[in-house]
Amino acid sequence: MASFIIRRILLLPVTLLGLTFLIFFFTSFLSPYQLLSAYVQDPRQLQGGNVEKLIDKYGLRENFMIRYGKWLGQISHGNLGWSLSLNEPVSVVIEQRFPATLELTIYAIIPVIFVGIWLGVVASVHHNGVIDQILRVFALLGYSIPAFVLGLLILFIFYGVLGWLPPGRLDQWAQMIFFSKNFHHYTGLATIDALLNGNIPIFLDALKHLISPILTLSYLSWAGLLRITRSSMLESLGQDYIRTARAKGLSEKMIVNKHARRNALIPATTVAGLMFIGMLGGVIITETIFNYPGIGSFAAQAATQFDYAGILGVALVYGLVTIIGNLIVDISYAMIDPRVRLG
Amino acid sequence: MKKIVVVLAAFLLIGAMVGMASTVVEETIGTIATLDPAWGYDTSSGEAIWQLYDNLIQYKGSSLTEFLPMISTNIPNAKDGTILDNGKTYIFHIRQGVYFHNGDILTPEDVKYSFERTIIFDRAGGPTWMLAEPLLEEINGSYVDSLTQWAKKLAGVKSYSDLFLKGTKTPKNVQSRKALIDAFNMLDKEFEIKGNDLIIHLPHAYPPFLFILAHGANWSAIIDRKWAIENGAWDGKANDWWIYHNPTREKDPLYSIEDGSGPFTLDRWTKGREIVFKRFDEYWGGPAKIEYGVIRRVTEFTTRKLDLMRGNADTIYVPQQYMSQVENLSGVTVIKNLPELVIDNIFFNWNINSKGNPYIGSGKLDGKGIPSNFFSNIDVRKAFAYLFPYKTYIKQVLNGQALTPNGCIPKGMLGYDSKVPPTYHQDLAKATEYFKKAYNGELWNKGFKMTIVYNSGNVARRTSCEMIKAFARRINPKFKVDISSELWASFLDDYLAGKLPLFSLGWLADYPDPYDFAQPYYGSNGAYGSTLGKNYIAWAKKNMDGLINESMKTTDPEKRAAIYKELNVKAYDIAYGIWTDQPLGHHVQRNDLKGWYYNAMRPGIDFYSLSK
Repeated sequence: MASFIIRRILLLPVTLLGLTFLIFFFTSFLSPYQLLSAYVQDPRQLQGGNVEKLIDKYGLRENFMIRYGKWLGQISHGNLGWSLSLNEPVSVVIEQRFPATLELTIYAIIPVIFVGIWLGVVASVHHNGVIDQILRVFALLGYSIPAFVLGLLILFIFYGVLGWLPPGRLDQWAQMIFFSKNFHHYTGLATIDALLNGNIPIFLDALKHLISPILTLSYLSWAGLLRITRSSMLESLGQDYIRTARAKGLSEKMIVNKHARRNALIPATTVAGLMFIGMLGGVIITETIFNYPGIGSFAAQAATQFDYAGILGVALVYGLVTIIGNLIVDISYAMIDPRVRLG
Repeated sequence: MKKIVVVLAAFLLIGAMVGMASTVVEETIGTIATLDPAWGYDTSSGEAIWQLYDNLIQYKGSSLTEFLPMISTNIPNAKDGTILDNGKTYIFHIRQGVYFHNGDILTPEDVKYSFERTIIFDRAGGPTWMLAEPLLEEINGSYVDSLTQWAKKLAGVKSYSDLFLKGTKTPKNVQSRKALIDAFNMLDKEFEIKGNDLIIHLPHAYPPFLFILAHGANWSAIIDRKWAIENGAWDGKANDWWIYHNPTREKDPLYSIEDGSGPFTLDRWTKGREIVFKRFDEYWGGPAKIEYGVIRRVTEFTTRKLDLMRGNADTIYVPQQYMSQVENLSGVTVIKNLPELVIDNIFFNWNINSKGNPYIGSGKLDGKGIPSNFFSNIDVRKAFAYLFPYKTYIKQVLNGQALTPNGCIPKGMLGYDSKVPPTYHQDLAKATEYFKKAYNGELWNKGFKMTIVYNSGNVARRTSCEMIKAFARRINPKFKVDISSELWASFLDDYLAGKLPLFSLGWLADYPDPYDFAQPYYGSNGAYGSTLGKNYIAWAKKNMDGLINESMKTTDPEKRAAIYKELNVKAYDIAYGIWTDQPLGHHVQRNDLKGWYYNAMRPGIDFYSLSK
C-alpha cells in the first residue's frame, strides 16, 4: 500500500502541471482584446491609446507558452499571482476562503453520510413497503430540486419568515470580534477558532449561520447516497451468505447491521468520498445564495471576470483536493473491503 | 442547562442590537477595486474613497452647481479674486488644524503632492486624464491627457517606451532623463504655495476645473504625503517619477491602505466581500453620528431583500426589475425618480469591419447582409431612429423610470434644452419613408440581414434589440435582424475590432459638465466617437471637434450652453444614434435610517450624513 500511496503522490505535480497547462492552452484561443476584458469593465477606460497601453502593460499579446512559463516561474517562488476579481494575491484569497468551505464541508458531510446511509438501509429493509416508497419520493425530490430553489426556500422560511438562520458566515457584531486583533485565527474555521478563543457566543453564531447551507447541501446529497446505499443493500440482502445467515437463525438486526450493511458500504463510501471532494472544491450556488465566503463563490466570480490567476488558483486547489481525496477514498475502500488490494 | 441557553441567547441578541444601532450597513453588488485615489475609476472604489478622504471642495447637498468648502475654506470665484487671469489661476485657502487619520496635520504641500501624484501615477485605463487635461500644457492646440506625452515631445521620440532601456524603467540616456525631468517640472510650476494658500496656475482656462476637484472625484482626493512616501509611494521628486508611473495594481503600495482626513477610517477590508469604516473622532467637521459604516457585497437579490426586511441591512441595491418586490415592504422607504447623469445610446457603426465578420451576412446589399458602410447612409440611420419605440421601451422595460434624451447632454446639465433639438419618437411611417429613400429604393426592395449583439446579462439591452428586430420585420418582412448575446470578453473583442453594426452602451458622468459627454460621444477622438468608423471620424473632425474645443475656451456658461445645444442639434440632424434613455435612479432603505440625500455625482452613499 505504501508504494501505491507514494506513486499517487508523485503523480500529483504532473497532474497539476497538466491541468494548468490545459487552462493556459485554452486561453491561447482568446484574442488580446478578449483577454483585455479582465482589466476593463467600462468603455471609458479605453479612451485615447489605452487599449494598446493595457495590452502592452499586461503582456496580452505574448504567446501562451511564454505566459505559462512566467506563471510557472511565479509559482516556483510561491506566488500564485494576483486575483483581478478580488484584488489581492490568489494565495491570500485561498488562505481566507478555503477554510470557510472546509468548515462547511466538514459539517455538511457528517449528516450527509450518516443520514444518507441510514435512510438507504431503512429503505432497503422496507423494500417496496410504505417507508421505502416515501423515501424514494424523498430521494426523487432531492434529485430534481435545483440547489438554488431549495436554498432560496430554506433562506426564505428560516430567515425571511422565522428570522432564525441568517445568511453569511457571522453576524455583524460577531464579525467585529472575529476580525479584531485580539481574536486569534488558529485554523480559519470560525467555529473551531471561536472555541479555541473561548468565545462561545461566536461559536454559536457561526454554527447558526452554517445550518441553512448544511441543510441545503445535505438534502441534495442524501438523495444520491440513499439510492446507492439502498440498491447495494438490496443486492447484499439477496446474496447467498445472507440466506445462510438467516438459515443459521441470526436475528434480522444482526443480518442487516453486521453482514449486509458492511458490504453495502463499499460503493456508498466511494460516493460519499466523491461528494466530500466535490463540496471541498466549492459549492457555488449554495455559497452564493447564503452569501457564504467560500472558494466556490470565488471560483464563480473569477470565471465570470476572466480572472485567470484566480481560475488557476482554484484549479490547483481543486486538483489537489481531488487527487488527495481520491487517494483517501481508495485507501478507505481497501480498508472496508479486504478483497481489494492496492498495488 | 436551560439557564445557560437563555443567557447565551440574550447575549447574542443584545450584542446584535447594540452593534446595529451605531452601524449602518449597505448591501450592494459592486467589488471595490482599490482604496488608492489615483487608481480608482469605478463607483465602488469611489464610494469607499469618499468615506476616507476629503477633497478641496464639496457639492452643496444635492446641488451639482453649488459648492461648499471642504479642505479649502473658500470656493474660488472671480468676484473675490480667487479666480484670476480669465479662469487660469485658482487660489485655495487651505483649512488649518485638519488631521489625517494617523495624526499628521494636513498642509498645502499634501494637496500639491496628491494632485501631482495622480498625474505621474497615470495607470492605463485610469482617471488621470481628468486632472491632466487642465494641468498640462496643450500640444498643438489639443489637450494633453498624460505627462508621458510631454516627455515624448521633449525627447523627440515616437513612443514613451523609447525613453527607456528595453524592458526597464531606466532612462536610455541623459537626454531621455532630462526630457522626463523637464516634463515633470512643467507640471510642478503650475503649483505655488504661499503661506497657507495653494495657488494653481492652469496653462489654459478649463471651465469644469472645480468639478474635477470636488468631493466624489477621487482622483483629486488629498492624501498624506509623508505617510504615502513612507509606504513606498512616489517620493515627490522630479528625478524618478517614471518609476511610479503606470504600475500594476499589485505594485501599488496604497491600494489597500489609507490615510485620508475623511470622517471615517478604515477598520477592515475583506476583499470582494465587505469593507468596514470606523468613525474618525478628530474629523474637522465633527465626528459622524454613526460609529461604523459597512459596505457588504451580496450578489443574490433575495438575500439582500431578506437582510433589509430583517434589519440586517439598512439600505440595499435593488435592480430596476425587482423594484415591485420592495415598494410595499413594511418598514422600508423607496425613493424614486432620481435623475442620474447617465445617457444610454444605441450606436451606429458607420464603417463596419467586414473582415471575418459574422454579423453582416454577405456584406453586400443583396438582401442577405449589409454593406460595411450601411450606417454611413443618413437615410438608414434616420429610419432606425424612427423605428425605435422609445416610450414603450421606457414604460415596459425600465418601468417608466427613465427619460428620453434628445442628445448626449443629460437633463439637469448645462446645455440641456428639452425642446432643442426635439427627441426622435417612434414613427413607422417616417421609418418606412427613409428606408424607401435609402439606396434609391434598393434597400427596400432587396431587404437586409444583420445581427445585433448585446452583452449578456443585460435584460434592458436585450429587449431593446428585440424591439428593433420586431419593428424592422413589421415594416418590411425582408428586413431580417438577428440578436446575439455575448459575454463581456467577446463583446469587447468585437467592439474594439469594429465588427458590431449596432451596439448599445452608456456613459456615466465623470463630472457634471457637458464636455464630459460631448467629447466622448461626439469628438472624433472621443471614447465612442473614435469607434464609429472612419466616415464618422471625418465628419466629426469637420463638424464637431471645433465646437467641442470652442466650448472649453470660454468660461461663460451661456456661450457654452449655446455650443452644446448646437452640438446636439447637429447630432440630431445626422441621426447620430438611438438615444434610448436617461435612467431615473432609486434608493431603498429602512425607515429608521435618517439623513440620506441624493447627489448624482456621489458614488454610493455618504455615511457621514447618516444616523439611526
